[in-house]
Amino acid sequence: MPLVGIVELVLHVKQTTSDVVPASDWTAARDALTTEARPDDLVIFAPFWVDPIGREQLGDELAGLRREARPDESRFARAFEVGIRGAHREELAGWKKTAERQIGKITIGTYENPAPVKLRTDLLELVGTDRVTVSRVDGASETACPFQHGIGQPGGLGVPQGPAVPGDRYVCSSGAYVGAAVLHALDHHPHLCLFVSPSGAGTLRIRFAKIVFGSALHGHSGVQWVNERTPSAERITVAFSAFDRPIGQNVHRVGAGWTGFEFPTPELAGQKGDLVAEVGAATPRSYCFEADTRDVP
Amino acid sequence: MSERPNDEDDERERITEPPAAPREDDAQKLDQPERERNTDPPSVPRDDDAQKQDQAASQSTRKTKKKAAAAESPPKEPEPPAKEPDLGTRARAWATSNTDPLIGGGIAAVYVAWLLATARSLGFSRDEGFYFTAAYDYKRWFALLADAPLKALERTSIDPIWQNNHEHPALMKSLFALSHTLLHDRFKVFEDDSTAFRFPGMLMMGLALFVTYLFAARAFSRRAGVIAAITLGLMPNVFYHAHLACFDVPIMAMWTTCIYVYWRSEKEGGLSWALLAGIVYGLTLETKHNAWMLPAVFLPHALVVHGRAISRHAAKSSRIPIPTSLVAMAVLGPALFVLLWPWLWNDTLPRIQEYVNFHVHHDYYNIEFLGQTYFGPPSPRSYMPVMIAATVPTISLVLFAIGAFDRARALLARLAWWLGEAWGRMLAWPKAAPEKDRAQTDLLIFLAIAVALGPFVLPRTPIFGGTKHWITAYPFLAILAGRGFDLVWTRLALLLAKRTTLDATKRIAAQVVVVACCFGGALATTVHSHPFGLSAYVPLFGGTAGGADLGLNRQFWGFTTESLAPWLAANAKPGETLYFMDTAWPSWQRLIAEKRIPETLRGVSSPAEAELSIVHHEQHINEVDYNIWTEYRSSTPAYVLTHDGVPIITVYRRARGHR
Repeated sequence: MPLVGIVELVLHVKQTTSDVVPASDWTAARDALTTEARPDDLVIFAPFWVDPIGREQLGDELAGLRREARPDESRFARAFEVGIRGAHREELAGWKKTAERQIGKITIGTYENPAPVKLRTDLLELVGTDRVTVSRVDGASETACPFQHGIGQPGGLGVPQGPAVPGDRYVCSSGAYVGAAVLHALDHHPHLCLFVSPSGAGTLRIRFAKIVFGSALHGHSGVQWVNERTPSAERITVAFSAFDRPIGQNVHRVGAGWTGFEFPTPELAGQKGDLVAEVGAATPRSYCFEADTRDVP
Repeated sequence: MSERPNDEDDERERITEPPAAPREDDAQKLDQPERERNTDPPSVPRDDDAQKQDQAASQSTRKTKKKAAAAESPPKEPEPPAKEPDLGTRARAWATSNTDPLIGGGIAAVYVAWLLATARSLGFSRDEGFYFTAAYDYKRWFALLADAPLKALERTSIDPIWQNNHEHPALMKSLFALSHTLLHDRFKVFEDDSTAFRFPGMLMMGLALFVTYLFAARAFSRRAGVIAAITLGLMPNVFYHAHLACFDVPIMAMWTTCIYVYWRSEKEGGLSWALLAGIVYGLTLETKHNAWMLPAVFLPHALVVHGRAISRHAAKSSRIPIPTSLVAMAVLGPALFVLLWPWLWNDTLPRIQEYVNFHVHHDYYNIEFLGQTYFGPPSPRSYMPVMIAATVPTISLVLFAIGAFDRARALLARLAWWLGEAWGRMLAWPKAAPEKDRAQTDLLIFLAIAVALGPFVLPRTPIFGGTKHWITAYPFLAILAGRGFDLVWTRLALLLAKRTTLDATKRIAAQVVVVACCFGGALATTVHSHPFGLSAYVPLFGGTAGGADLGLNRQFWGFTTESLAPWLAANAKPGETLYFMDTAWPSWQRLIAEKRIPETLRGVSSPAEAELSIVHHEQHINEVDYNIWTEYRSSTPAYVLTHDGVPIITVYRRARGHR
């Protein structure tokens, strides 16, 4: 019986000393990746719970908002998995590991995307520029929702608090808005996307100008976890069109979580023009979507 | 501790022998559990004929003895005046006759001192903040009561004050207020207001250890008592909660005390124990609503203990006698509950109804378990057993399993024997009559555990409180662990006796070594867990990092903010604003007032207003994390507070000029 206690003590000492990753290992990992990682590489931390330390130690250059709150991994041709405790991220399960090295207690794995894509335009990168206009459509009437640089509403002391209302947003006269913010998805992961707030009876129309189209329009949609976690019959629709022709519409089912969609656009590949997204009326909650144009293999 | 290696069947009797040091007077009477177990529980009247015969026999015997004594006594010569024993002798005699209270009290005192020594480094939980505020309010009422009693008793004086935090009864918050008045304001024992508020809770932990020791010592042995107290004290979650000005450890203490007093009333009989049971039950009701579940412990127990006597009596008199202790609890308990809670003095029934409704229809809060955040029914049935296994040191659970198996076997043996007697045909097992325990101590202990844990296998029971909501089971788990250690030590002692010849001193030293080996891990885990007690998981589950791997709750109540103090002192500029997230306003204000964090910081309630924003890591609080990213347009922390390499709090700083 005393052996049980002794084993507990030995395990405890190990877990609180030699198992803990020292800051020097993180510094060494950062130095290694700083020279190696390209801007279009993904840097990802395993397990997910170590993400805050990874972001702190590797900094904005390597683990900034765009990589952390990515819509998915498909846009990255290569990924560096910075892992501890033998953990791996399931997002890279189908990727090919090309290298692995040990830096102290940190393992850095290099992975290649088995189906790399060429990104043409990421719609989120246009938000706030003169290439995006937002309007509210009520029947035949269309009212512009100008872009404003205001004060954000990122919540208070209670939780759940809902998604942050970004300071920079397109504001409609009805109070509805469109703006880029980070969604807390059903799986508790972050996704930067374009929030569209409830607009009453009207439809919110978002026009992205001078888009370079690829062979597909690829995107995701979702609502904040606190709504998503209680599945309902509610459906939210975003319809895409270009050159006055529909491309496709995605219907988000509340409860489905952050889900992807892809519409083939081979006939538009290489063309440049406006892409219009319309989010359906009578949505009782903020809805978030993102999309890009890309060439898929 | 007395050692007499013996065969296992005789273990119970041997272990309950009085220790080597002779006990005197009361102690001798109190510490002979085996003899007591073989007496009828006296609080239910036996049938009239038997009582009359007993009384007649008793009177006759006394008269005969008196006559014989008178006849046999020779004429007495004047005796020399008895020499008054010196102080040392009297102190030794007193200590000898109060060994168990001294041991239990000693353990409790050491533990409370440990709590006091570590209190300053533990930040304030959400609920503490609310109870601090309530205690300040109640203090005003008690001051009014002292100055103008009639005015204090007016509704206009009671309601505005006692409506604060009226979802919980008054006892602990009143004690917080009293402690603050005496130990902070008047005698200046504690410099921090918070320590004065917390002190009654710490004393309650002392009471829990004291009673746990006494219970196990009287039921099994002093060794079991000591081990039970060690087991209870060396649980990281319990150690954390024992610091707080909250109700969880107090209800654990009162739950245990109430059951202990009831048990003593069953064993000792007499009106005084029964009345004490009633009073303690009233105080338990006044501590926290768990107390309303105690009848589920007492009623089945009383039915088993007194069932035969009750049925005999009922058949003869057409009345059902109820044990005095239960009557006292049923009468005094609710009466004290109302009497000690001024909020209930007006609109009593509607307010009781409101109190009941609040707890019966309590909100579900978010809590992570195995990577999933639960926020409503159905609660996972595996939550309670997994969390116990993950947070209670493994050695304690193994010893508990051994002790529980032993006592369950004894209980089943008694049941089987009783059934055999009732049917007039003995069963295959047990072969011999099992030890008698008419107080049914084992049954009481198992009921105390089952009733505390039972609700958590029901799908509608909220699980947001983590382990604290079944903390009342832990003293009894510890008592059985004490019993388990008794059995283990007996085996070890036999082995030692076969291979070595140890004198009494060396045997004691060997026991100390075994205890140290057994509980060294639990001690290290508990010490190391501070001040992140809720993040701590036992080594078998991988420690804090193992808990994170498994997706177990990292923390709740936002109490870890204080642990940022060194970083804030070094990095926050005077006058900067900080969004303190899950920490309650009153808790934040107290942190500032007691200079636990830089007092130049200004707390704000939204990242929109803050230069610095923090996130207390829990799965559902990722939302706050991401909202800060949106607000600050960056996901890069300024600092991450960790425990064993696991993030506890992340701090973000707004980029200069970025609004």
